[in-house]
Parts: sequence; structure tokens; C-alpha cells
Amino acid sequence: MAETPMIEVQNITKRFKGLTAVKDVSFSIRPGGITGMIGPNGAGKSTTFNMICGYYPPTEGKIFYKGQDITDKKAYEYTNMKIARTFQIMKPLKNLSVLDNVVASSYFGHAGAKSPREARERAMEILQFTGLYEKRHVLSKDMGTPDQKRLEMARALATKPEMLFLDENMAGLNPAETEDAIRLIRKINESGVTILLIEHIMKAVVSLCEEVIVLHHGEKIAEGTPEQVMNDPYVMEVYLGTKKEDTHA
Amino acid sequence: MDMFLQACVNGLLMGGFYSLMGMGQNIIFGVMKIVNFCHGEMLMVGMYLTFILYTVFGIDPYLAVPIVAVVMFCLGAVIQHTLITPSLGTKSFTNLLFLTVGLGLLLSNGALVIFGSDYRSIRTAYSQTYIHLGPVTMALPRLISFGVLVVITIALFVFLKYTTVGKQIRAVSQNSVGAEVVGIEVKKIYILTYGLGVALAGIAGGLLTQFYTIFPTAGASFGFRALIVVVVGGLGSIPGAFLAGIFLGLLETMSALFISPSYSDLIVFTTFIIILVFRQTIIARRK
Amino acid sequence: MDSRRAVKVYHRNVAILVGLILLVFALIPMVVTSPYILNIFVLVFYMSTLSMAWNLLGGMTGQNSLGHAAYMGLGAYACCLLVVKTGANPWIAAVFCMIVVGLVAGIVFYPCFILRGPYFTLVSIAFGESIRQIIINSEFFGRASGVGLPFGGDSWLNFRFASKVPYYYVGMIMLIAIYVLMKKIDRSKIGFALKTIREDEDAAAAIGINPTRYKILAVVISAMVAALVGFFYASYIRYIDPDLMIQAKSTESVLPAVVGGAAYVEGPIVGGLLMIPLSEYLRANFSSILPGINMLMYAVVLLVVIRFRPTGILGWYMHSRVKQWIDEKILKKPPVEVLEEAELLEYGKKEA
Repeated sequence: MAETPMIEVQNITKRFKGLTAVKDVSFSIRPGGITGMIGPNGAGKSTTFNMICGYYPPTEGKIFYKGQDITDKKAYEYTNMKIARTFQIMKPLKNLSVLDNVVASSYFGHAGAKSPREARERAMEILQFTGLYEKRHVLSKDMGTPDQKRLEMARALATKPEMLFLDENMAGLNPAETEDAIRLIRKINESGVTILLIEHIMKAVVSLCEEVIVLHHGEKIAEGTPEQVMNDPYVMEVYLGTKKEDTHA
Repeated sequence: MDMFLQACVNGLLMGGFYSLMGMGQNIIFGVMKIVNFCHGEMLMVGMYLTFILYTVFGIDPYLAVPIVAVVMFCLGAVIQHTLITPSLGTKSFTNLLFLTVGLGLLLSNGALVIFGSDYRSIRTAYSQTYIHLGPVTMALPRLISFGVLVVITIALFVFLKYTTVGKQIRAVSQNSVGAEVVGIEVKKIYILTYGLGVALAGIAGGLLTQFYTIFPTAGASFGFRALIVVVVGGLGSIPGAFLAGIFLGLLETMSALFISPSYSDLIVFTTFIIILVFRQTIIARRK
Repeated sequence: MDSRRAVKVYHRNVAILVGLILLVFALIPMVVTSPYILNIFVLVFYMSTLSMAWNLLGGMTGQNSLGHAAYMGLGAYACCLLVVKTGANPWIAAVFCMIVVGLVAGIVFYPCFILRGPYFTLVSIAFGESIRQIIINSEFFGRASGVGLPFGGDSWLNFRFASKVPYYYVGMIMLIAIYVLMKKIDRSKIGFALKTIREDEDAAAAIGINPTRYKILAVVISAMVAALVGFFYASYIRYIDPDLMIQAKSTESVLPAVVGGAAYVEGPIVGGLLMIPLSEYLRANFSSILPGINMLMYAVVLLVVIRFRPTGILGWYMHSRVKQWIDEKILKKPPVEVLEEAELLEYGKKEA
């Protein structure tokens, strides 16, 4: 492979007191694309995700970002490296308005706003981009799930990332809202942001991702285009549970 | 050596009070995740209550304990129902904190307005009776008080461990949402818990009256020590609270004996800071 | 173009209102001669400033300290001791005491910020009480009997006056300066970092905020402002003792902020202006018959506010008809859409 991958994960393992949540997982993400990570509940998706985002370090293995070792970087050091993330359980700044939520993010990152004016300007831009502009004066705790999910993305985008991690950004959305979210994610990607997303909704994964990584029981079981992965016999087995040994496990 | 033994006994006897205070604070913190910053003031109210019962009605301080416990329980239940439960809904930790701080101000200054700043005390027929055990001398009231403390501690332990209500309290402190889902009336448990915690502080106050002066800010130092007991003894652990209280009592008398009585407060507070920071660092590392 | 003019009118009206309020306060000492009344104003000024210092840490960052009297007391001690022992100029001592207290707070709390929520509060109490115990036990600090500042003729150089009027003006300037500082912080990068930490530390880390670094910054600034208040207090009262740092004083420094509205920079000032004169009135008139009545009143107000107006007086005012009426009729505040249109015009994002 000629070009340096955006993210390269080498043999990461995470053990929580004897329980191995993720075992020897490796993959890489090429710049400019959308990569999906799927797997049944408890497959280790979130754990893998949290390790890559610096939330906790892997027990073993290394993580590279643009060829640079970031395994031991703290979560707050990521923003300056143009990496941003969202949380599965939304963490909006509850008592601040939507606008202020995004203003807060605009101050940080590699190109953090230097003045309150610049921060507000950028926040307004991002709100227009993400379609939250009309709701900018609403307190974020008073918004519904779809808008809070959108706000999560807006807050991440305000730090001007090149790499964006989305943690189940469509969970709990109805089909129409999912369509909107898919459109927004594609729009973000077209603006030049590489995306890694965890998702349960297969439809979204199929329509968005060029590459899919499948995890099961903490191990990577398949990797490839959505079509390849969907037709993989083992993946089908895991998802549809055709063999008895799997339902038992 | 004699002095050392005497200090041990004194520390043990005083530590019992810290334990009792700590247990009350412990169940309140455990169940509602709020720090009861008026816990010391509740002890002071218990003292004045015992004082009134003794001087006005001539009830012996030890016989007054059940009355004090019941009255304090009701006081706590009313406070929980009218003030704390509604504020729990706002989920603002700052507000809950200053709610109990405000209650503390209300109680201590209320006592100041009603009773003035005079020091009061209760002298019963047996107040000045001493028991000699080898080289160690103990005032009879201290010994009786300690006995009552131990009985209450055991009773509380049994109550929380084996009764249905006790199990419900523990369930709520583990996970209040989960407890609500399985049909526990969480608000009732809150009232019960706060009433119980306050009653324990009141009992401690009542038991103190014979050898401790009664004044409006008498509870302050006990209140903070109760918090130390919770932090050092561990959340939700009755035996832990008991041991931590005894440890605190011993730490005080030992530092008074070996260093200087005027440094004992300083030593208690700095030890507390060190233990707290040390423990949290270990917890953070483990993550 | 219309929207910009409307906004200009609004800004002018706000400026006039603020100017009028300042003018009234500036004129008070020329009309009021009673030292008793002036003393209440001075008290309002420095207690509100102290409360603002608390609010930076408590209201904005969500770290509820109950040890601010210790920073103030430490500042007062550092300043007095420098003046008494070396004969230094009090203004230089003021700078010195702010640096010392800022350093002490930063160093002491560096390891403590691993603690979250109530644990931080407990440490702040223990820290305050430890400082007081050290002072009581130390000959250098004058033990329990305290330290006095030298008396003498009126002098600006030594910040020493028989009259209360100079203290009134210095106190007022201090309050305004700290208010402006807090307002600046509130809108700046630091302010947003602190507010993000208050809401959720993980969310803060996810947007590149190092929580420990910003919390230390908040505690240091807060302690330095408290030390400044300590300097002012010592220069005004001219005598300090360890009772300055008792727990009740720390609590008192929080009350104006919580009653006024801890989420607002103006909260401590509003709370201070309302509560302190009332408290002083009760103390002056009833404390001989009913000692403690002023604090009792404080406690009742605090409980009522928390129970029925959890966001404080300002939190209520901000959504009240009174504010709506003042905005519309007196300040001629344009609707939000107009304000934002003007803002966008200003940024050049929209054609006029």
C-alpha cells in the first residue's frame, strides 16, 4: 500500500480484569473514505472505538495515526491532531444553548478560534451545515434524540477534524431521521473528513461505507466491501445464528 | 504506658461517636448520593432535645434516647419530603449541597436565637461516677454511651442486612432506577433513609450530653468527622464506618498524646486529605 | 441597515443605563455621610467580589469549594505579615499576597483534582481548616491573637484612612474590575472550557480540553481574587485573626452567588446587594436581643431560593415579565432575529 493509512491499528487487545473484550484486532482506514464497524452486541466495538479515541489504552498492541504512534496519547490530545469523536450516550452541555455548545468546541482544536467573534462565526457556519441553525437558542437538554445526535456531530465538527469517529449516531432514530443522518454523514465526508462509524443499522452501513469491519466476541471476523462482508458465510452465521453453537455462546 | 492505655480508651470511647455519625452520613450518601452537610447540626439538635427533656420533664438522658430518636426521625422525614426530594429532581449537585448547608445554618442559628450562645450541660446523679480498670479511668456515662453505640451499630447492621426494608435501602443505593423498576418505592426509601440518618445523629447527640457541653455550634466538628468516617470507611460499609470512627478517635488522642493537643485537628484534617487523594489516585490508576 | 441601527440604539441605551447606575454609586458617598451606611456598602463590595471569586470555581466550573475564606484569610495574612515584618508598601504586599495564595492553591489542589464532585468539596473544607489550624499553632502568624496593621495618618501610599469614603471607592473599583475580568473569562476560551468541564469532563476531553489544566487555572484565578479581597479586608479593618477563616465565613462567601444565581457572572453582585444590607440591618438592630437572627434570615432565604427558584434570583429574572418589560420599553431591545441579522452583517456573511 503506497499511501499512509489514516488510522492503523496493530494487534490491539483489551483485557478488563481477566475478561478479554478485544483480542488481537488489526485493521487500517484509508484517508477520505467512510469505514463502518459492525458486530452483534458485546462484540467489542465500543471498546475498540474507545481505545482508538484515547479513552483508555489497549493492554497490548499499537495504534498509528498518519504513521505516528498515538497509542498512549490522552483523549484531550487528539483534538489538536485533527481527530474528533462523538459519544454513543450523548453528552451535550445540557445547560447551554445549542449555539454555545458549538461555540465551546470552536475554541479548540488545531485551528481553534482566537476570539469570541471568530468562535461565534464558526459555530454559526457549523450549525447551518448540520441543519441546527433554526434551533440555536434552544437549551440542548430540551432537544429530542435526533437533534442531540446532530449536535454531537456539530460539536465534533467545530474542532475542524480530518478524522471523525461516530459512535452509533443513528441508534434510536426512525427511518426518516436515519435518512437525514445518512445525508449529513455523506456531506461531512464529501467535505474531506475521513469517517469511522459504529452502527447497528445495516441499511446505513451498506449505503454509506466503502469498507466494513466485522467484530464478533472481540475478534475481527471479516473485512471488505459491504457486499463481500454480507455474503461472508461466517458473518451470516453470526448475524442470523444458523448454527446452534452460536446461540449457546 | 498508663497514659498510652488511657489515651487508647479515650480514643475508643470518642471514636464510637464518630462511627455513629458516620453511619448516618453513610446511608444518606449511599442512597441519595448527596453529602448531608447539616449532619453535625442534627447532632446538636439531638443534644438540645435531650437537654429539654431532662430539665423540663426530668427524663434521664439515656431514657430519652428513644424519644429523641423518634422525634429526630420525624424531623428528618419532614425535611426530606418538603425540601430534599423536590430538589433531587433538579439534578443540580450545587443546589443539593447548599440546601443541606442552608439547613445547617438554619439549625445552628435557630438554636442561637432560641437558646443563646451559653454553654449548657447535663449533670445527673451518676455523671461524676468513675470506673477504674487497672491504670485506666473511665467516666460511667462514657462507658454506658459506648455500650449503647455498639448495640445500635449491631442493630443497624442486622437491619440493613436481613430485613426487607434494609434490603430495599441497599438496593436503592446500588441503583435507584433499577430499584424503582422492580417496584421499590424509591421516594419512601429516601424519606426513611434521611429520617434514619438524622435519627442516628440525634442519638449520638443525646448520648454525648453528659460529658460534652451543649452549644449551638457543638455539632460542627462531629459533622466533618462523620464525613471523614464515610470517606475512610468506604461507602455502604457499616463495619467500615465503625472501624474508621474508632481509627479517627484513636488518631486524635494519639496525636494529642505524642505531639500536642493543639495539633490534633490539623493532623486529622491533613491525614484525611492524604488518604482521600491517595485512594482516588489508586482507583484512577486501576481504570 | 435598519437592523444595525436598531442594535446601535439598544447598545446605546444599555450603556446609558449602566452609566447611570455607576453614577448613582459614585455619588452615594457624597450624599450619605453615615459611616454605618457606608460600611454596609463597603461590605457589599468586598463580599460580592469574594463571591464572584467563588463563582468562577463553583458556578462556572462546577467545583463546589467550601474553603474560600481560607484563600481570603491567607491573602490577608500574607499581606499583613509582609507589611508588619518588612515594612513593605501595602500595594506591593497586595501583589505579593495574590501570587503567594495563587501558588499555594495551585500546588495544594494539583493532586486533589483527581477528586470529583463531593470529594472536592470535602478537601476544600479540610484544606481551609488545616490552614486555620496552622496559623493558630504558629508563632510566626501570631497564633490565635492575630495581626494588626499599623495605624497613622491618612495616606494613599499606605492605603490607610480614617474615613470610609476612600475604601468605598477602592472597593467599588475592585468590584467593577473583577466583574469585567469575570465577564471576559465567561465569553473566552477559558470560560467555555470551564463550562464544558462543569457539564461533562469526558465531553470536555473529547473536544481537546485538558480538564486538570483548566481546573487548576480556575482554582488559581479564584484564589488570587480571594486573596485580593483579603488584602482589601485587612487594609480596611486593619486587624486580622484566624476567625477570618472559620467554616461559616466560607459558607457566607458562597451565599450571594447561590442566592443571586450561580450560573450568571452577575449573580454574586445581585445576591450581595440584596442579602448583605438586610443581614447587616438585622445584625445591627436585633443581635443584642436575638443573636444569630441575621444568619437565620440568610439561611431561610437560601432555602426558599433553592426550593422555589433553583436558578437563583437572576435565573428567575432572566425569564420574567419584568425583564421583558425593561428590555422592550426602556432599552428598546430589538428581537433576536434583528440582533442576529446585525451580527451576520457585521461578520460580512450577509449582504445589507
